Amino acid sequence: MNMELIPGLDPHGLPGPPWLFQSLLVLTFFLHMLFVNLTLGGSLLAAVSHIASGGREGDHRLLLARRLASVNTFAIALAITTGIAPLLFIQVLYQQYFYTATILLGWIWFSLLALLVLGYYAAYLYKLRGAPARGQGGGGWLVLAAVAFLLIACLQVAVYLIQAQPGQWARFAEAPLAVLSDATFWPRLLHFVLAALAFAAVIMAWWAVRRARAGEDADGNRRIAAYAWRWALWTTALVLADGFILLAVLPRPVLLSLMRGGAATMVPLILAILLAVGLVMMLARGSDPVQSPGLVGGVAATAVLVIAVMTIVRDQVRVFYLQPATSHFTWQTAPQWFNTALFALLLIAGLATIAYVVRRVLGAPASGPEAA
Amino acid sequence: MNYPIWDIAMGGGVLMAVVAIAHVVVAHFAVGGGLVVAVTETLSVRRGDGELRELARRSSLILVLLSTVFGAVSGVGIWVTAGLISPAAISALIHTYVWGWAIEWVFFIVEITTAVIYYATWDRISKGAHLLLIWVYFVSAYLSLVIINGIITFMLTPGAWLQTQGFWDGFFNPTYWPSLVLRTGIALLMGTAFMMLAALRGTPQERARLVRYLGLWMTAGVLVAYGGYRWWEAQLPASVTDLFRGTSPTLPQLATVRHLLLWALAATLVVVTVMMLSLPRLRVARGVAAVVLLASSVVFFGGYEWLREGVRKPFLIYHYMFSNGLRVSDIGAFDRDGFLVHDAWATQGVGQGPVARGRAMFRGQCSSCHTIDGYQSIRASLPDDPDMISGVLMVLHDMGQTYTKAPPGQPVNVATLDYPYMPPLVGSEDEISDLAAYLGTLTGTDGTPAAQGGRP
Repeated sequence: MNMELIPGLDPHGLPGPPWLFQSLLVLTFFLHMLFVNLTLGGSLLAAVSHIASGGREGDHRLLLARRLASVNTFAIALAITTGIAPLLFIQVLYQQYFYTATILLGWIWFSLLALLVLGYYAAYLYKLRGAPARGQGGGGWLVLAAVAFLLIACLQVAVYLIQAQPGQWARFAEAPLAVLSDATFWPRLLHFVLAALAFAAVIMAWWAVRRARAGEDADGNRRIAAYAWRWALWTTALVLADGFILLAVLPRPVLLSLMRGGAATMVPLILAILLAVGLVMMLARGSDPVQSPGLVGGVAATAVLVIAVMTIVRDQVRVFYLQPATSHFTWQTAPQWFNTALFALLLIAGLATIAYVVRRVLGAPASGPEAA
Repeated sequence: MNYPIWDIAMGGGVLMAVVAIAHVVVAHFAVGGGLVVAVTETLSVRRGDGELRELARRSSLILVLLSTVFGAVSGVGIWVTAGLISPAAISALIHTYVWGWAIEWVFFIVEITTAVIYYATWDRISKGAHLLLIWVYFVSAYLSLVIINGIITFMLTPGAWLQTQGFWDGFFNPTYWPSLVLRTGIALLMGTAFMMLAALRGTPQERARLVRYLGLWMTAGVLVAYGGYRWWEAQLPASVTDLFRGTSPTLPQLATVRHLLLWALAATLVVVTVMMLSLPRLRVARGVAAVVLLASSVVFFGGYEWLREGVRKPFLIYHYMFSNGLRVSDIGAFDRDGFLVHDAWATQGVGQGPVARGRAMFRGQCSSCHTIDGYQSIRASLPDDPDMISGVLMVLHDMGQTYTKAPPGQPVNVATLDYPYMPPLVGSEDEISDLAAYLGTLTGTDGTPAAQGGRP
């Protein structure tokens, strides 16, 4: 590895212990991934559902597409907002690798911004406008949003792989798109996309079941739940299969480090596999989710848990990828404990404020002259 | 330094300016618009005023679409762009102010969450709960401005931080409070300028009344912004104001920008006064007047941001890091060891020999501001005489000595330097000769045909 190409650590040092930033990175990335999965998987599922419905009013797939587009305008906002924190913490911990990877991609990385705006406004256009955004031709907006978010997924996988492999930087400097020929690129992208589809489908099934059981368009919601449930089943099965392929094509030193890491690495990895197998089994048990609300709740909770565990595994894999480079550097720390405590306090206060406001909103339904 | 170099023909600074100005306009609108919408809806509820309610409602769609979509994406865009063109500088800022940004993120989460719920709950929840949403939105949006203002002003006037490296010493720096007042005024200007467009969509009677109502807000915004701007200028050190004020400013183009932004602010006041007094008689022109109002507000704000960035040259963080990522504290080591041993990426793929090394020097130290033939074209700025090129380079190199010899606590007055807006040139004598040789190939003064444009 050409160590000369790796920029030095920032001389200011870390304003807190590394474990703290590592924990914050993993925690906030997990939150981010919940909304990213809804955004990416939801956009893809909405586009496919809209096309499958043929734009026919009353078709349950069209209803699902509209519901997803409606959810997505919130999910995208929260995906971007929750993404700020992991972007911040990765710059604190891995600035040498992260900036280098983004600069090597240059305009390709910069296009992230245009794709985000495009995907976001396309989702809003479908949600807010009548024809031609909706109806038979309206699927175009959903396809546009889905393609934009799919390309962003490609960008993120590319940046992850370039930053994780400083030994390949001279090659990527000559041809950044060589990252597409990395053995793990396509299995990793597929893992990401399929998991997003599965998660969005599970959440949509859960929501449709709740509505159906509340007596709201029972037949339509029953069909939406069954349709989303099938998507969740097949995509989860494929994620599991692709996960083993991804594991097999990991660079040998990374795989060995993962296997020899003891309980710290094996517990999350095995737990993730077991949870995914459990998900497939639970999804295969019922074809009419409305009849099994407990099962649907269990599936949704397990899906969230799988994302949490996989976030930990993903971070460990990055640590092992970077180990040959990071072993040459020692972090200096200059903790700012007062500011750390202030952040923690304000985070609690901020989340409490949101909880209070949401509670007030849910407890104050109104209509007619009494409404805002 | 020692990051790969992103070669873009338009120049990294221009790209950063485009992204940053687009973001700050929307971000300030999100703050000011939040206040005006909150007050407007509160008044509408207290007075049972349907016109004010419709104004708040119409404006809330713009607020959500602009602040939660474009504002959020362009905010991320500033980090993305800074990481591409000035990785060392953004790294220094992040490592110093990570907790500041983390705190701002908390406010941002509250802001975005309440904004999307606020827009989605018109006609669906009680008036009291809806008002709570918009006031929580405004308070969190303003608090995010309170935080980010400290980091932005730190870059121009780091104050005691240069000695202590303390978070709060840099945060509450000499221009923190004036800038906060100025940005509060700007937020009001941006908020009401956008809302004016929404106000013009009502009936003629509604329009006249709503324009007068928003005109009062805008007048307040102009006055607060003007006061804040003057206070900001007064807090700048003389070495900075010498660049753009006085009878013979060091950088006349920045003096022009200053005149432009002050006239734009005056124009905003005039146009809004005309609109308030004579809207019923303005027919075709009312739409034009609203657009002019928005344009003059943006020109004022953009001009101020341009001036703020301009007077910071040659630094990214004043007296700490230059615009090409070179730290003041690194000048001595780079002169002693040579520059290229510290920047392997500059030499990556440029080949061997003196001209190649000179090209690497250009990539590492000059290309963050200069392109070959595009923005800030280096070819167009070079003298024809090779001896003059070498002479200019030696002057730039000697400027480094001025920085290293400055007594602690007495930073260099850049206005007294030969090239006040340029970083010093660092490196060994051989490297500087190599750079002169490379620059000679661009003009053909080295005896060979001039090298054609393209990547440096």
